[in-house]
Amino acid sequence: MGEKLLMKGSEAIAEAAIRAGAMAFFGYPITPQNETPEYFSRRMPELGRVFLQAESEVAAINMVYGAACTGTRAITTSSSPGISLMQEGFSYIANTNVPCVVVNAMRGGPGLGDIAPAQADYFQATKGGGHGDYHSIVIAPHTVQEEADLMFDAFELADKYRIMVVVLVDGLLGQMMEPVEFKDWVDVKKFKTPEWATVGQGDRAQRNILISFDILAEGLEKMNLVLQNKYAKIRENEVRFEEYKMDDADYAITAFGTVARIAKTTIELARNEGIKIGLIRPITLYPFPEKVIENRASNVKFFFDTEMNEGQMLEDVKLAVNGKKPVYFHGRLGGIVPTAEEILDEFKKHLGG
Amino acid sequence: MATLQEIVSKQVPLAPGHRMCSGCSIPVIVNTIIAASDKPVIIANATGCLEVASTIYPFTAWKVPWMHLTFENAAAVAAGIETAYKAFKKRGKMKDDVNIIAFGGDGGTYDIGFQALSGALERGHKFLYVVYDNEGYMNTGNQRSGATPFGADTTTVPAGTMSIGKTQWRKNIVEICAAHRIPYAAQATAHNTLDLFNKAKKAFAADGPSFIAALQPCTTNWKYDTALTMAYSKLAVETNFWPLYEVENGKVHINYKPKERKPIEEFLKGQGRFRHLFKPENRHVIEEMQKMIDEEWERLLKLEESQVQI
Repeated sequence: MGEKLLMKGSEAIAEAAIRAGAMAFFGYPITPQNETPEYFSRRMPELGRVFLQAESEVAAINMVYGAACTGTRAITTSSSPGISLMQEGFSYIANTNVPCVVVNAMRGGPGLGDIAPAQADYFQATKGGGHGDYHSIVIAPHTVQEEADLMFDAFELADKYRIMVVVLVDGLLGQMMEPVEFKDWVDVKKFKTPEWATVGQGDRAQRNILISFDILAEGLEKMNLVLQNKYAKIRENEVRFEEYKMDDADYAITAFGTVARIAKTTIELARNEGIKIGLIRPITLYPFPEKVIENRASNVKFFFDTEMNEGQMLEDVKLAVNGKKPVYFHGRLGGIVPTAEEILDEFKKHLGG
Repeated sequence: MATLQEIVSKQVPLAPGHRMCSGCSIPVIVNTIIAASDKPVIIANATGCLEVASTIYPFTAWKVPWMHLTFENAAAVAAGIETAYKAFKKRGKMKDDVNIIAFGGDGGTYDIGFQALSGALERGHKFLYVVYDNEGYMNTGNQRSGATPFGADTTTVPAGTMSIGKTQWRKNIVEICAAHRIPYAAQATAHNTLDLFNKAKKAFAADGPSFIAALQPCTTNWKYDTALTMAYSKLAVETNFWPLYEVENGKVHINYKPKERKPIEEFLKGQGRFRHLFKPENRHVIEEMQKMIDEEWERLLKLEESQVQI
């Protein structure tokens, strides 16, 4: 770890990605995350790495796809409407089994929406988004420090599983400034070209082929099963979450990203009044931390899920709780950020007698 | 031929109170072009400065039918409107003639919207596409685009000790559009309002797709005094940086030839985005720019003289 710096989230993401060994950035302008590509545009050439502004998001993600096929650590960053345009590329990347990192600074939707922070792309990110049976690993930091830390993990996970990793943030986490300490630089000189990469046949007996299709259904089913096996391993090994004040909690709030940090204040307010609430904060949204939620269902009286959407993670929480306890919800839409007091007021409505 | 007085005395379709930056000439471009239409207009507007600043929710500055679209689809939606309109006319459900206009910035025209534009021009829909060209993604904070000139400093091609800013020449969008064999394509500016007005007239009269690229000096990101928009617009023409010309049925006609071409420095001077070019080590960039501009002008003169089809 180095010195402590005061940085904007959107720039900390770029700096962390660079230190984590991102060799190529491809992107296209969109608010509210332009600071990220702008930061890359200054830093990448200094290090002899690639910064390229594409002519559209469709081009940007396919440039990432191309770079990823050579085993290069590649990244793009965008915001909701831009991410929608990239979905076809995501789907191809999934079935071709190549690694890359995508940051989505979510904004209010649907359609053009607005540029205020939102969490309404949860379904799109965690359930696939593009066509076909696929998943990406989805991670959701809630502080600038965590944004910086998880960028390193994002690249590691992408390479380990040859999968796309989505870092799901929002404009609020991008614009806020917080102290941040970066992990040590990844030594990119030690990078070896992966065996599967398409970089010319070289000394291999056969050339590498990366492919996202099989025209015969039997073959395509096998390809799908390879993906599903990979997802099973990821669900087994890569679940991450934070439990906050859950040990003595009578109630559990579930929340991720921006809302999770607000919920921590809600919990302080509630505990001052003697109401023991804890927080279960999924850090990986896919794979989803269903076991911890299932286990806590025997300790708490009910769950209270809160998000900046109309109840998207709520569905995963309900599946995990599986009817053992009630799951209540409070959400704000279209880019409105709830306050800690508002969440507490909504929570209290369910306390009953 | 209309007089300036007649043009400005027409009721403007874009109401005052919009949120365009002070010194922005987009409203002049939009109002002049629509003033040239003697039929009702329908506007398809891509995401960009014009759209954002004219429709701050829940308000709108538009007094004419207007539709906002995704960044990449102004030409596609205009094509859809035109197709529906033709179908309605055929069935007798509509009687009035209309002019369909698509407005896009240079990002939405040269870059992300280019596929839709090319498709609509090739299919031959009768509509006018207008790019207000401020030479970059100005609404999102000055990122480079396919229209950004050689040597300009932007946030994604920043100038510095290792870089002169953008190292590519901008696309020649007027000739690219003309190469679709459309009946009318032209290059214009806001300062020469009569020229812009006349070009819009010709565009509306064309039997098929038409295209106008209007230079839109951006006080915010070209970084100059807000009072100087028209001055820079004029300098762009006087230096041959942005010649006023049109391509009618493939034949080039230059609308204005400066008596004495001014050196490009006069256009670059005072613009923050070119400030770095005046350092001694970057003089060669200005020289290269001058050479390119002179060569392009010579080529344009030859095209006009020979009347070779573009």
